[in-house]
Amino acid sequence: MIFYRRYIGIIAAVLIVISGLGMSTGELTADDAKLSTRWQAVQPLLIQYCGDCHSGEDAQAGVRLEKFANPGQILQARKTWLKISQQIEANIMPPAQSEPIPAADKVKILEFIQDATNAINCVKDPNPGKVTVRRLNRFEYANTVRDLTGVEYPKAYEFPGDDVGYGFDNIGDVLTLPPILLEKYIEAAEEISKTAIVVPPAGKKHKTEWTGSQLKIDKGGRASGNFASLSSAGEAYAFEQIPWAGAYRLVVTASGDQAGDEPVKAAVVVDGKPIKTLIIPNKRGEPKEYAVTLRLKSGRRKIGIEFLNDFYRDDGNGKKQDRNLMVEHVTLEGEKAGAKIADSELPESHKRLILQTPTGENDTEAATRQVVQRLTNRAFRRPATASEIDRWVGMAQQVQADGESFEASIQVVLQGLLLSPQFLFRIEKQRNPTGSSKYAQLDEFELATRISYFLWSTMPDDELFRLAAKKQLSDPQILREQIQRMLKDRRANQFVENFVGQWLQLRKLDEFQPSKQQFPQFNDALRNAMKRETFTFFASVMRNDESVLNLLDSDYTYLNQALAEFYGIRGVEGEQFRRVSLDGTVRGGLLTQASILAVTSNPTRTSPVKRGKFVLDNLLGTPPPAAPPGVPELKEKGELTGTLRQRMEQHRADPACAACHQLMDPLGFALENFDAVGRWRLKDGVDDIDASGELPGGIKVEGAVALRKLLKDKYQDRFVRCLIEKTLTYSIGRGLDYYDLCAVENIEQQLKQSDYRFSTMVYEIVRSDAFQKIGSRE
Amino acid sequence: MSAKRLSRRTILRASGVCLALPLLEAMATPSRSVLAMAPEGKLRMGFFYVPNGKHMPDWTPAEEGPKYQLTKTLEAIAPFRQKVSVLTGLTLDGARAHGDGGGDHARSGAAFLTGAHPRKTDGADIQNGISVDQVAAQAIGGDTRFASLELGLEGSAQSGNCDSGYSCAYSSNLSWRNATSPLAKENNPAALFDRLFGSNASNGKTPDAKDHAQRYRKSILDSVLEEANGLKKSLGQSDQRKLDEYMYSVREVENRLGRSDLVVKTDGDRVDYARPAGVPKELDEHCRIMLDLYTLALQTDSTRIISFMFANEGSNRAYTQVEISEGHHELSHHGKSGEKQEKIAKINRYHMTKLAYLLAKLDAVEEGSRTLLDNCMLVYGSGISDGDRHNHDDLPILFCGTAAGRIRQATHLKFPKETPLCNLYLWMLTQMGVKTDSFGDSQGVVRIG
Repeated sequence: MIFYRRYIGIIAAVLIVISGLGMSTGELTADDAKLSTRWQAVQPLLIQYCGDCHSGEDAQAGVRLEKFANPGQILQARKTWLKISQQIEANIMPPAQSEPIPAADKVKILEFIQDATNAINCVKDPNPGKVTVRRLNRFEYANTVRDLTGVEYPKAYEFPGDDVGYGFDNIGDVLTLPPILLEKYIEAAEEISKTAIVVPPAGKKHKTEWTGSQLKIDKGGRASGNFASLSSAGEAYAFEQIPWAGAYRLVVTASGDQAGDEPVKAAVVVDGKPIKTLIIPNKRGEPKEYAVTLRLKSGRRKIGIEFLNDFYRDDGNGKKQDRNLMVEHVTLEGEKAGAKIADSELPESHKRLILQTPTGENDTEAATRQVVQRLTNRAFRRPATASEIDRWVGMAQQVQADGESFEASIQVVLQGLLLSPQFLFRIEKQRNPTGSSKYAQLDEFELATRISYFLWSTMPDDELFRLAAKKQLSDPQILREQIQRMLKDRRANQFVENFVGQWLQLRKLDEFQPSKQQFPQFNDALRNAMKRETFTFFASVMRNDESVLNLLDSDYTYLNQALAEFYGIRGVEGEQFRRVSLDGTVRGGLLTQASILAVTSNPTRTSPVKRGKFVLDNLLGTPPPAAPPGVPELKEKGELTGTLRQRMEQHRADPACAACHQLMDPLGFALENFDAVGRWRLKDGVDDIDASGELPGGIKVEGAVALRKLLKDKYQDRFVRCLIEKTLTYSIGRGLDYYDLCAVENIEQQLKQSDYRFSTMVYEIVRSDAFQKIGSRE
Repeated sequence: MSAKRLSRRTILRASGVCLALPLLEAMATPSRSVLAMAPEGKLRMGFFYVPNGKHMPDWTPAEEGPKYQLTKTLEAIAPFRQKVSVLTGLTLDGARAHGDGGGDHARSGAAFLTGAHPRKTDGADIQNGISVDQVAAQAIGGDTRFASLELGLEGSAQSGNCDSGYSCAYSSNLSWRNATSPLAKENNPAALFDRLFGSNASNGKTPDAKDHAQRYRKSILDSVLEEANGLKKSLGQSDQRKLDEYMYSVREVENRLGRSDLVVKTDGDRVDYARPAGVPKELDEHCRIMLDLYTLALQTDSTRIISFMFANEGSNRAYTQVEISEGHHELSHHGKSGEKQEKIAKINRYHMTKLAYLLAKLDAVEEGSRTLLDNCMLVYGSGISDGDRHNHDDLPILFCGTAAGRIRQATHLKFPKETPLCNLYLWMLTQMGVKTDSFGDSQGVVRIG
C-alpha cells in the first residue's frame, strides 16, 4: 500500500512502549556525505546480524545487503528498505532463533534507513504524482450514461475488464480495454443511442410524370410529337396507383390554340369526375404550368385533363378559327409527412438531448451545431474545441445527406460520442505549469470531473459545470460548499457503495457461502441486511458530518428487525433500517458489524488470522508482510492437531510464521466471540471461547470491547491515517507513494483540527496537491 | 483444401434459436455459413485451468508409460483414456518467488500460459508476458472470426488485495495479449452466445439492414480512431499506453468487420442450442453451458483457440456441490490434515468431472474420420502442484486430444525435473504453424506421443 514511515504505526508504537526507544521523526535532510559515513558504520552491523540469510546468490527475499554501496542506491531501492526497517523494528527480523540486534545498534540502523529513504521535503514542492488516464469502470460507465442521456443501461454492470489494484477497481493502471470490452461498448452505444433518441418514421414521397404523348386519349385528339393534342371534346388521361389517401399536387403543363371569344378551358378529372377547371390563355409554343391540389383516395385512379370548350369556325374565305388544347406534361406528386410523435410520447432523454429541431433547411446546420456542441461538451466533460465539434457536426451532416432525419443524425453522433476515447477515458491533458510550482494544476473542468467521480462515480452535474466555466470551483469557500452539497446528494451513495464496498471488502460478501449445516439462519436477505448496515452506518457518518472516529467506535448502528434479532437486540420491528442504540451491547463501530465479521471468516469457521489481517490491512494501514513463498518448512512437519487456537499456536511456534502471526492472531482472537457469520457466542462447539491474546510487548487484549478500546486509545491516529490513505487512493485512482506523505500528513493535521469531521477529510483530499496537480511517476 | 460446409442437418436441427448476424458482422454481405466447419483436420488449441493445485498423491499415477493405472482423481477421464496423456514433472518457474516473497497464487495464474515471472505490483507497471494462446492467435487467428476466446466462470476479483501485493489482474487473467495487457474473460454465457451467434438471436429478429446504427459503425470507428490519434500527442507516456490499448481494440474490431466474409447469415439458420438466459446461479449449470459453448465455438470454427479458467487463482469457493463447505483455498493449506486433503481430492475429482464433460462434448463432434477432440490440443491443469507447499514443479497437467492424429496419447509421461511447461507450449505452437524456436522460459521442445 504505502511505503513511508510505516513504523510510526502499530508496530513502532508497540516497540516504543516496550523498549522506550525514541525515534527521530522530525524534518530530515539528506546530507550525502554524512549519510555515506553513517552507511559505512551501519552496513557492517546489518551484515553481522542479517548477512547469514541476506547476502550472496541465495539471499532470502533477494535482499543482498553487501550489494548496496552507498545511500543513493538505498534511496533507489527505497521500497525494499522501508520493508527492511519495518521488519527490524517489529522484531520480525532477525527471526526469533537468531541473535537479536542490541537496542543501540537497532536505533542506529533504523535511524539511518529512515534518513536515507525519507529524503522527501514537504516544503519544497513535492511531487504530486501522476495518475494514469482512467477508463470509466462499469459503475462509472452506467452512471455517466444515465446522467448524460437519461438511459439506464444495467448491462454495463457485466462489462469485463475492471481489474482491481491497490484494493480498488478505479485504478488507471489496471483498467484495461481489451477488444471484448470494446465490442460491448459498441453494442452499448448502439442500444443507448437508440433508446435515448426517437427517430420519427421518415416521410414518404410519391411522384409520377408523364409526357403528353404518354397520356391516353380515347377520342377528340391524338398524340402529336410530345403533346397530347385535343382538337375536340375529349380527355387525355392516365391510370395511377395512388399509394395513400391524401393531397397530391397535379401540375399540368399546357398551352392552347386560342380562338373565339374565350380562352381554352380544361377540366382536371378524377375517375370521370371533374374537379377543377383550368383556364389556359397561353398560346401554342408558350406552355405554362397549371397546378391543382387533388385529394385522392388510395388505389387505382384515372386522372385526366378534359378539353371543355372546343370551338371551330370556318368563315368560308380561308379564315379558320380553331380552339385546341395541348397537354405537354403532367406531374403528379404527393408527400406524406412522417408520423409526428407527440411531445408527450417522447422519452425524457430525447427532450434532454434534442433541445432544438430545425424548422427548415435554412436553420438545419445551426440546429445541428447547437445540439451536437452541447452533447459533445457534456460527453467530454469540458467545452469541446471547435475542431472536435466540427468532427461530430460533420458526422451528423453526413447522415443527413444520406437522407436521414435530423433526429437520426443526432442519434449517430451520440453513438459515436459514447465510443470516443474522450468519453470512455477521463482525459487530463499534459500542460506546462503556470504558477510558482513546477507542477501544473488541473483545469477547472478536470477538477470538477475528479471530484464528481470521487464522490458520485459519475460526470459532473450542471452546477459543477457552471462553476467550472466561471472558474470558481477552485475557490476554497465555493469548493467547501460544493463538497457539502455533494455529500448530501443521493449520488454520494455511490461513494459509499463503491469505496466502502471495496475498502471493507463488502463486495466479497456476495460470494461468501457459509456452511448451510452450521449456519442455517444465514440467507441472502440477511447477507443484504449486513451490507446495508455497514453502508447506512458509514453514510450516516458522512451525511451528518460526524467524526470519522465513530467508524472505529460508536454507540449506535443501523438495523432492521431481522438483523437486530440476529444480534439479539430487541424492540426493532419491520424491514426498515433505523438508527439503533448499542448501549449495553458489546457491539460498536465497524469492526463488530456482521458484514465484516463474516467476510473475514471461512465458510465453516472463524479465521482469527484473516480478522487480524483485516484490522492491520484496512483499519491500521500496516499490512503484515506476505506469508513466505513456498512454505517449504511445513512439508517436513507432521499434521497440526488440537483446537483452532492450539493449531495456530503450533503454527506460530515456527519462527518463520511467528513474527507476523504474533501480530495478527491476538487481534483476531479478541473477536472470537463472534462466529463466522458474526453472531455472538460463548462456545465454539464444546470449547469455551477464549478471546484473549497478547500482542508483542506484552499488551494483553481480551474481547471485542477491549480491542476497540485499544484501537481507540493507542491507534486512533493510525486508523485516521489509514482511512485517509485509502480514501486518497480511491479518489486519485493510483497507489500512494512516498512523496504522498506530505499530502497525507497535511490532510491528517487539518482533520485533527476539525474534530475529525468527515467533510473536512474529503475537502482536504480534494484540496491536496495529489488531487489537484499533475506530477510525474517515480 | 476446400472449406467444408457443415450440413445444417448435422448440427443445426429443429427449432432453437434463429441465428441472426453476430453483432459486429451485421454490415457484411453474407458469403459463407457461420456454421461452416473448419477445414478438415484443422488443429485447435484449448486450455482449462483450475486453481490451488491438487492433492498430488491422488493425482500422479505410480507407473510410467502406456500401462499406467488411472489414479483416483484421474478416474473420471477413463472413457477418454485413449485420447489423453498424463504429463508429470513439468515446472512453471515464473510462478516461483525469485525474491519477490509471497504471492504464489497470483503468479501461478499469471504465469500459467505466459511462462513469465510477473512483476510484483498492486497496479502500477503491470508486467507479465504474452501468453501461448495469444502467440497462436496472432499467427493464425485471422482465419476465424475470433482470433481467440477467453472464458471463465468468474469475473475479475471484486475488491481487496488479491494476493500479497499483486494486482488482481494477475490472478484473474490467463491470457495476455502482450506483457501489459491482460484479456478479460467472458463469464456470461448469454453474452458469449450473442458474440458467437448474434445478439438478435434471442428474439428471432433478423437485423434490419437499414439500421443506421450499424450502417455508420465503420465511419464512427474511423472517426474515434482519428480522435484518439490526435489526442495521443497531448498525453504523457503512461496515458499514451492506455490510448494505444484503446486503438488496438478499435482496429481489432474493425478488422473483424473486414473479416466478415468468414461469416454468415441466412435467414432460417438455426443453432440447436437455446440462448442462455444469463449467468445461472448454480455452478454446475453455469459450467455446463460454458463448456457447451466452448465446444460450439470450436465446432462452428468461430475460433480455434480458447482459454478457460474454472475459477480465479486462489479462489476460496466452497464446493457445496460435493458437500464441501470449507473454502478451496483455505483447505489447500491443509497442514497435512488427512481430512482436509481428502476434501481437496474431492474438489479435484469434481473439477475432473467438468473436464470429462468437455471431453465428451468434443469427442461427440465428428469431423471427417476424426472427432473434434482428436483435432484438439487441450491442456488441463494448475500452476501450483501442492496447495500447501505452493510448489511450482511437478505440476498436475493433462494433455488431451491427439493433435489431429499427430501423436499417440494414452500414456503417462514423466519429464525430467525442472522441464519447463513452456517446452510443451512450444511444441503446441509449432503444431499450430507458428514459426518460433522459443516461448516463455522454454529450453526446447517436449518429446511427446
